[in-house]
Amino acid sequence: MSDRYDLSAIAGDRRDISRRELLRRAGIGAGAVSMSAFLAACGVGGSNETGDQNQDDGLTTTKENGELNFANWPLYIDRAKGRRPTLDDFTKASGIQVNYKENIQDNETFFGTIQEPLANDQAIEWDIVVLTDWMIARMIRLGYLEELDHSLLPNFEAHAGQIYKDPVYDPSNAHSVPWQSGITGIGYDPKLTGGEITSFNQLFDPSLEGKVGMFKEMRDTFTLTLLSLDIDPQEASIADIEAATEKLIEQREQGIVRQYYGNEYADALLRGDLAATMAWSGDVFQLQFDNPDLRFVVPDEGGVLWVDNMAIPQNAANPIDAHTFMDFVYDPEIAAQITGWVNYICPVPEAQDLLLKQGEKDSYYKTVAESPLVFPTPEMEANLHGYKDLTADEEEQWQDLFQSVIQG
Amino acid sequence: MARRSRRWSPVPYLLTLPGALWLTVFFIVPMFTMFSVSFQEGNFEEGFVFTGYWQNYTNVLTRYDTQLFRSLAYGLIVTLVTLCLSYPMAYWIARRGGKNKNLFLLLILLPFFTPFIIRTLAWKQLLGDNSIILGTLKGWNLLPESYQVLATSTAVLSGLIYNFLPFMALPLYVALERMDPSLLDAATDLYSNRRQAFLRVTLPLSLPGVFAGSLLTFIPAVGDFINADLLGGVNTVMIGNVIQREFVTNLDYPEGAALSFLLMGMIVIGVFLYARVLGTEELTG
Repeated sequence: MSDRYDLSAIAGDRRDISRRELLRRAGIGAGAVSMSAFLAACGVGGSNETGDQNQDDGLTTTKENGELNFANWPLYIDRAKGRRPTLDDFTKASGIQVNYKENIQDNETFFGTIQEPLANDQAIEWDIVVLTDWMIARMIRLGYLEELDHSLLPNFEAHAGQIYKDPVYDPSNAHSVPWQSGITGIGYDPKLTGGEITSFNQLFDPSLEGKVGMFKEMRDTFTLTLLSLDIDPQEASIADIEAATEKLIEQREQGIVRQYYGNEYADALLRGDLAATMAWSGDVFQLQFDNPDLRFVVPDEGGVLWVDNMAIPQNAANPIDAHTFMDFVYDPEIAAQITGWVNYICPVPEAQDLLLKQGEKDSYYKTVAESPLVFPTPEMEANLHGYKDLTADEEEQWQDLFQSVIQG
Repeated sequence: MARRSRRWSPVPYLLTLPGALWLTVFFIVPMFTMFSVSFQEGNFEEGFVFTGYWQNYTNVLTRYDTQLFRSLAYGLIVTLVTLCLSYPMAYWIARRGGKNKNLFLLLILLPFFTPFIIRTLAWKQLLGDNSIILGTLKGWNLLPESYQVLATSTAVLSGLIYNFLPFMALPLYVALERMDPSLLDAATDLYSNRRQAFLRVTLPLSLPGVFAGSLLTFIPAVGDFINADLLGGVNTVMIGNVIQREFVTNLDYPEGAALSFLLMGMIVIGVFLYARVLGTEELTG
């Protein structure tokens, strides 16, 4: 199967295996993951009445311990020849040993596995976790995250892009700093759609019957649909969500939607099972190596900018080491090294110039640096929106409505 | 000898102890926990509290009745089709397999050497809209351009039937294989023709295999979510997909648990009725 993902012409042997190819394989393990979540679920009782009982009692230590336990998503850090250069560089520079595990498959499942100890004010084994912005907001609300000491993060202050500072989900970055981010928009194959796609409403066109992919990720699907109804997602009321639900159900009942997808949409788009689909920017960037016809567009009505963030869980054993690492990856050289492999949006704008310079020797890096999917243009950025931070009650109401869409 | 066997000995009890403990810890305890979870109320942020909230059951039944009955219908179809497909096959191997019986059995088992998710993913590749099969047929204008197999109930049912066929074939084979062939000679001696011999001798004697095979196929097929996930579309969602999502994505443990017990209850009742019809005493005795 891997012959279709031969990037060697562009990337040399730098990428032993494409990130997406690995992602897809990781998806196969989803069954095993859900089992562990299921078991974790058995243990969750009424352990936590309110979030505010987790008072912030400061960091567990004030110095480095020479150790860092880092939980991240699969294929979310650079790899070369079976090593991870960024982690090696970090250990060389700081003397801190990193225990790096790719054990976050999705936000909810991972949350399910760490909730019980955190709710009981116990430590979990991780010093850094990478989670999406809305999950960061939830964990802040529940008091599950340590406050960051920004005096230890000079590189972040100096090099982070403006839109990554002081975000709505975590005012003044008090608990988190971005790792990578991405855009949820539309991916399409003009040969199959018979023309350009510019509006989200085109995914509701009956002429694309059975050829449209939608996400089973509730926040992405609702946010883009709200935007297409001219509703500001941040201000969305339950009535608005009901209107969005109605629109989505009609789309399903007309037979336009082929399936509600997770990561596997990318494969269906590449194979031509889908003509147009909701899509994540980094995926389409990599798919374009296999099929240069594919396009990614931020809908005219607006797209979603989501940010995956590094954060320190409450009572983590090595919080200072965690700060050291967070600051290290905001060194533009390191940021460029990570983005050059991961291909999602880099929170350090200066990395673009460094990648361009590298591109003089290796055209692959030129492609990365010049792609608006990795370094979005200001016009694109202006048309991006964040997810609404939902309370537990809203979350349940939204999920119930969304179930009625996708569980037809 | 006789006296020794009657004397009480702790050995058999000690030997069953590990298995019994295993079942207690990993089956009985979780079952009770989940049963109590299904009567809890709350949300994942504030925690769930046991309040005897039986409405979880009526809520999920009204919300997911379509998926529940679709799954039971799929399970029935899959069981019937696998039965019709594997009976002649098992019969042929048991009766006419000769020296190569084991080879034929191995062929039935061969797919198990690859994880079923991989095999189902391969189906997904083969049946894609522009795949080697459909793409070629469309190229010859034998199929309309918009024709698709994936994302239909045909695809999900085919995947289920394919994946569960061996679970039906093997018990049938065992039942047919252990039948004494001289019984058929006896039937012939008593002036029965081949059809009568099959209906009055072979078929009744193979019923334990039919019963075991049906259970091994029906129960997991009803709860399956992988085939619907990989091969299905928007109108083929099964109850397993709903339960999986309640637990993993929505973190709504009480509703997920209620749905699981509802499904379990329906299966138990169904199997009980089935056993009454086929008369288990004869079968298991």
